[in-house]
Amino acid sequence: MAWLTKNSGTAKIARRDEPYVTAAIKDHITRTYLPRYETKQGALLPTLHAVQEEWGWLPHQALIEVAEFLGLKPADVIDCASFYEEYWLRPKGEHIIWVCRSIACEVCDHKSILDACQAKLGIEPGETTDDGKFTLMEVECLGSCGTAPVALVDHTLHENLTAEKMIKAIDDAGRHGH
Amino acid sequence: MPWTPKTTTPVLTKRIPCAPHGDPKNRHIVRYDEYVRTGGYEGLRKALTMAPDAVVAEVKDCGLRGRGGAGFPTGLKWTFLPKHDPANPQPRYLAINADESEPGTFKDRLLLDFDPHLLLEGIAIACYACRLTKAYIYIRGEYHHQAMVLEEAIKEAYAHGVFGPQGLLSGASNAGGEKWSVECHVHRGAGAYICGEETALLESLEGKRGWPRIKPPFPAVKGLFGRPTIINNVETLAHLPSIIENGKQWFLNQGVQGSAGTKLFGVSGHVNKPGLFEFDLGIPLSTLVNQYCGGMRHGKKFKGAIAGGISTGILGPDQFDAEMDFGIGPKYNVLGLGTACPTIFDEDTDMVVVARNLARFFKHESCGQCTPCREGSGWLYQLMTRIERGEGRTKDLDLALEISTSMGAMPGTTICGLADGNNWAVRTIINKYRDEFESRVRPTFVAVTVGAG
Ligand SMILES: Cc1cc2nc3c(=O)[nH]c(=O)nc-3n(C[C@H](O)[C@H](O)[C@H](O)COP(=O)(O)O)c2cc1C
Ligand code: SF4
Ligand code: FES
Repeated sequence: MAWLTKNSGTAKIARRDEPYVTAAIKDHITRTYLPRYETKQGALLPTLHAVQEEWGWLPHQALIEVAEFLGLKPADVIDCASFYEEYWLRPKGEHIIWVCRSIACEVCDHKSILDACQAKLGIEPGETTDDGKFTLMEVECLGSCGTAPVALVDHTLHENLTAEKMIKAIDDAGRHGH
Repeated sequence: MPWTPKTTTPVLTKRIPCAPHGDPKNRHIVRYDEYVRTGGYEGLRKALTMAPDAVVAEVKDCGLRGRGGAGFPTGLKWTFLPKHDPANPQPRYLAINADESEPGTFKDRLLLDFDPHLLLEGIAIACYACRLTKAYIYIRGEYHHQAMVLEEAIKEAYAHGVFGPQGLLSGASNAGGEKWSVECHVHRGAGAYICGEETALLESLEGKRGWPRIKPPFPAVKGLFGRPTIINNVETLAHLPSIIENGKQWFLNQGVQGSAGTKLFGVSGHVNKPGLFEFDLGIPLSTLVNQYCGGMRHGKKFKGAIAGGISTGILGPDQFDAEMDFGIGPKYNVLGLGTACPTIFDEDTDMVVVARNLARFFKHESCGQCTPCREGSGWLYQLMTRIERGEGRTKDLDLALEISTSMGAMPGTTICGLADGNNWAVRTIINKYRDEFESRVRPTFVAVTVGAG
């Protein structure tokens, strides 16, 4: 529901001295991405990806820094960042489990996979475990319907899942860190 | 009459083993050297010996239609571009649609996973023919691995002179009259189905939220950063090298009248061996399922199938033999062929659940710009949920049909095609399985005590 308004007007913005948009990120974007687009705003999605890759999510301060870096208004950056589901404007767990809920997966028993995740982690979709290790999400089609049911654990796709395989994938992710 | 394939050697999947020609277990990433060793970049080499307009004409005459969902004739789209003026060169763009998010669809992924240079060669040919200077491959955010494979392949292509300032194929002589150089980049999305719609995709490339634009102006005239832009699907472009190499007649000989060529078919759902196949357009769905997917799972009966991505609507129990080509829409009362990736349902499937699932998808993905879509998608989801729980009334069915027919069916009431996809998805399920819905709702009546006399 990308069109739902988010609370912003009255929100207090936490600040810290250390910048989120580090010199290394700026350098990387300046060299690799800015030359690719006719406008600086063109590099906004790659910049947000880079900042999120570094910090795990996009704090408000980071969005403002991105705006300064690309010469945009903070509103432009927030407008864009809040539209896309893969950008996290709130902290998330160290690992994300995305369970597909679209049609091919639903008719191939996606429910048993989701149930297994919920039982294992003790959380509902959209929630993060208390130790901050895992966030559980339901997503729409992951483009792997021929091997339904599927789930993405961080960047790795797990196919032809069973409850046991799902639990093993969670265990493995927990053990290996990123 | 049993269906027989016209094309017996794979075209798009020449290097990607798919049943029945090869074993999917043997798939691997085809790198530049292997690609060239197996005839790669020969199509581009030949294209450079032709005048750009001749390449456009070839693509127009071969009957290639877009593989992204709408089936628009590719060559015709290209002719909408303004003329390139060598005296006053301007940036002109190609945006490659690799957003692949239509539920049920997993075909572009196969090409990106294993044979990225096939796409890159197609890109180079399109840029040469249409006089485009820069190509952006817009790939959905969830395709992490595929984006990496592409980045690697692009690096190789630059290193071997395919792309870059020196001109296509290391500045090989070409019939276009001027050196033509092309830049090619990957642009990763961030999780939004709507960015597969071509103008939303352009907005997203410009660093904005993915809100579809009102057309006209059409992207060919005023697209990315206000410049002439062509948007094509991955599979569409992957067809170009073989078309140029073998000529239009070769392509016209494949498939059926009005639907030339082969097509990737991704079958999912209740079949024994789901997967990705390449066949001539026109293959009957029942042949695809029974002959190549090992039949229905557990020997159950066929109940229905989403034709090609959920926006296309459903093929009913008596439409199992539907020919999978661009004529499928009017003939079987679905929106169209879509992405040609059917999801199959067996007799035990609860069609109300299916309708609820699809309605939820559209509600979740509506970008919210147009009232009929934003409101209608929410109402339809509520109604379907209510009926699924057994709390619906007979009048809810009529209401659902009324809402869906007023979403997108009337041209000009919504900006993009998402609303119409929602309409087709939900309406065709209710219509083709009406009795199942009726048995789930309670009749609407007013209890009265008749006092006669
Ligand atoms: C809501 C919506 C979503 C779409 N998603 C995709 C998509 O994921 N991939 C794609 O290739 N085309 C998608 N399309 C179709 C594109 O708008 C466009 O027609 C297509 O990319 C053109 O390429 P083609 O002519 O080569 O098929 C979508 C259209 C709509 C209305
Ligand atoms: S039809 Fe729906 S998705 Fe398309 S622009 Fe309108 S509100 Fe957005
Ligand atoms: S429906 Fe789950 S991957 Fe497509």
